Amino acid sequence: MGFIIEEIIDKIELKNAEHANKLRKNLAGLEAEIYPASESFFQKYYAYLEKEGKTIDFGIDCYLHMCDDMLIQRHKFIETGKYTSTSFDEVEKRVYGNEAIMTYHMHGLVLGQFLWFEQFERFKFFKENLIKYFPSQGKYLEIGGGHGLYMLGALELLPADTIFDLVDISQSSINLAKGVIDNSKVNYTLKNVFDISDEDKYDFFTMGEVLEHLEDPIAILKKLSNLIGKTGKGYITTPINSPMIDHIYLFNNETDIREVFDKAGLSILTEKIVISEHISPKLANKFKVPIMYAAFVEQKK
Amino acid sequence: MEEQEILSQVVAIFKEELDNEEIELTMESTAKEVEDWDSLSHIHLMVAIEKHFKIRFTSTEISSFKNVGEMVETVKKRLG
Repeated sequence: MGFIIEEIIDKIELKNAEHANKLRKNLAGLEAEIYPASESFFQKYYAYLEKEGKTIDFGIDCYLHMCDDMLIQRHKFIETGKYTSTSFDEVEKRVYGNEAIMTYHMHGLVLGQFLWFEQFERFKFFKENLIKYFPSQGKYLEIGGGHGLYMLGALELLPADTIFDLVDISQSSINLAKGVIDNSKVNYTLKNVFDISDEDKYDFFTMGEVLEHLEDPIAILKKLSNLIGKTGKGYITTPINSPMIDHIYLFNNETDIREVFDKAGLSILTEKIVISEHISPKLANKFKVPIMYAAFVEQKK
Repeated sequence: MEEQEILSQVVAIFKEELDNEEIELTMESTAKEVEDWDSLSHIHLMVAIEKHFKIRFTSTEISSFKNVGEMVETVKKRLG
């Protein structure tokens, strides 16, 4: 019997053969690593879908719908050099406040975590380094839990007595994360990170794919810097040249990201940069191909 | 504008965008047959063609052109 991810790609092929070919091409040579690594996550996702009275066909339709959106956004991005939305309010009305759009978008992203090798590379980087930067006992915060993958990774790796908090401003996102994670050790709160008291310190935060949704990424980074204090650490991911229906803040290159960290008073401990296609940085730059960025950070000394 | 004239201008755009003077296209050419014409460069090529002819393709058209001929015919229709 094969891996779930193979079944997913086979099913995608029935609906969009060209896209399935592209996925297989991009995953070629990485199957032995990614397929087994994705299995438990997709088992959890299948179980969640079943509880919701849905099947993987629902998830695949969501994923392909999201890919259609991405094509439209990419077309506009190449034309103008800008993301289509410029304000949080605009995206909140058009996307976050629209249950149907949020649902297919979030489910689409769930599949992308392993169908897209660049996402997997960052998750691997996270798992390889998390223990190094987490104390023997402590409090862990995730901002924007989304698909639940990073919290699952933290639950697997961190000490049993760790306090796990997950905050998100979207109830749809929390519902999905809660359903996939399915672990009562996690405290899920519908809350803006700015509403967390500065007295409420954390030893580590994870914030995956949030900065690009904000008008002022420096403000949230300063807030997180306060929450971890002088001894805490954090893990941040954000994409470069990655137009999506809910992206506002455009990072043109990794230097832009490093500058934002610097302005927020954060220094980089280690970072990972993955081009979303198997091409050279020169070609990625020429065609403005999305590049995935991840870094472990701490307060500047 | 006639199809052959549109095709010759499309060829010039492909050469410029893909930085390859060797490119030759016919109405039957597909992405598989043209070096570097892949999903990465495709939208760049489409946007360059839109700008050159001052037309707009729909997203459905962009994702469904099966060969150069379909693209040329769409450009011809838009130009009226």
